[in-house]
Amino acid sequence: MGVMEKLQLDGKIIIMTGAGRGLGRAMALDLAKAGADIVAAARTKEQIDETAELIRATGRRCIAVQVNITDSSSVQALVDTTLAEFGRIDVLVNNAGGVTRGWNKPLEAISDEQWQKGIDTNLTGAVFCCRAVIPQMLQQSGGKIVNITSGLGVRASKYNFMYSAAKAGLINFTRCMAMNYADKNIQTNLILPGIFPHEDPDTMNFWQGGKFIPVGRVGKDEELGYLCVFLASDVSNYMNGEMISTEGGGLAGGHVPTGFAPVVPLPAGTTGGAR
Amino acid sequence: MSLPAFSLHNKAALVIGASNAIGRALALALAEAGANTAISTMLPSPQEVAAIQSCGNAIQEMGGKVFAQTIDITSETDVDALVQRTVAELGSLDILVNAPDLPFAKPVPEVSLTEWNRVLEVNLTGVYLSCRAAAGPMLHQQKGRIINVVSVLGERGMANGSAYCAAQAGVLNLTRALSQEWARQGITVNAIGAGWTEGMGMIADEALQKQLTRYVPQKRLAQPEDIGDTVVTFASEASGFITGQVLWLEGGVLSRL
Repeated sequence: MGVMEKLQLDGKIIIMTGAGRGLGRAMALDLAKAGADIVAAARTKEQIDETAELIRATGRRCIAVQVNITDSSSVQALVDTTLAEFGRIDVLVNNAGGVTRGWNKPLEAISDEQWQKGIDTNLTGAVFCCRAVIPQMLQQSGGKIVNITSGLGVRASKYNFMYSAAKAGLINFTRCMAMNYADKNIQTNLILPGIFPHEDPDTMNFWQGGKFIPVGRVGKDEELGYLCVFLASDVSNYMNGEMISTEGGGLAGGHVPTGFAPVVPLPAGTTGGAR
Repeated sequence: MSLPAFSLHNKAALVIGASNAIGRALALALAEAGANTAISTMLPSPQEVAAIQSCGNAIQEMGGKVFAQTIDITSETDVDALVQRTVAELGSLDILVNAPDLPFAKPVPEVSLTEWNRVLEVNLTGVYLSCRAAAGPMLHQQKGRIINVVSVLGERGMANGSAYCAAQAGVLNLTRALSQEWARQGITVNAIGAGWTEGMGMIADEALQKQLTRYVPQKRLAQPEDIGDTVVTFASEASGFITGQVLWLEGGVLSRL
């Protein structure tokens, strides 16, 4: 099969968590445009119903399934509903997660409950979803899992304890998935998105349009979608336990998310006697 | 149909080192995605010359536009002339892929300074020369994709691999530095990290291949196509926000080792 055919997702069944809005919805739509049928999962029914309508308008099949990823029985119900409707699961995208407003504070101010909930939302939920799809993927001799981490999973940040720890945990969890299921033809990889404001003007303003990011701009929704298509496709069959960062060069140069910093060139003309 | 963003229709791509197995797979994938291609050797040996002729024929059979040129990647003149010819014949230089691979393994006390310098010159300095040459047209058009191929030996050490490991790691961090230098000029610079791949010079030995396969979670070596097909996504419009990154295709081996 040629490379362009391998990049098509025709007939693949993909579960996207956090598909009700924002980047989850955008990624689900791009996967559908590449040919996949989608299970749009999230907590809020009205939002996933809307996502499902948008996906059906592209000509692909889609069902909306309400789920609370921190509740393993709810996750099992998501898998059961998917199998009843489509009969298989080719790809799981663990996109749900996020920070809770008001929980950005010093460690000594964080309660046991807040810590637990932050870890559950951003790590345990994805683990539950992986665990629930594995039996089906083993039965159908393969599958793919895409986990979404964050720049905060690889660099420290201020007052983001649970999110940062959970996203870092997700990275090594992904490597363990690769190590344990690679020989069963299950590929588990990560996307690390930089600043993708989606349509949120507050985020756009906070990042000043991306002027402190090396490439000088923020990410566009579809740039995340295309990467998701790559990882869901057969082109990435030998990629396993790996992470692809799409963040405009900040990590390679050490600019985001450690704080606002312009691209600092070394002074040209430093020679140390070399000619 | 695959998403239009992945198409390389009418893009001009140059693959240096299309004479080895991975370079050939990269060139074929780029051509299949619609790019017009220039392909070259790493060094002007008869084997490499024959290999790029064969690669050029394969691209022509697919209906692609291609020219093949013999170069010595360590020669500034050769590399500059190749980039100039690419722009002249293909209209621009949109995608540069560097895939030279000079294998070398010896215990450190036996490595002469001449050998050390040669391994660094071909595997690292050659890539630097080609990136520098490509910067001319790419900076002019404020757009470009540079993709350097590195191996897992750029990220992990291996006994008897000193010079090769150092060169590979050099390419890897050269990639990061260039990504910063040209970030505002529309040029993205990334690496494709090749796992243990069939046809790779460093692991030509069959017993070694068997031994290494045991450590690969996916329980097989990479085929050149596993590496080659990846280049399309990262050479395309789809990946404009990715720069300074290594995209590893290694069957899970870096998760384990």
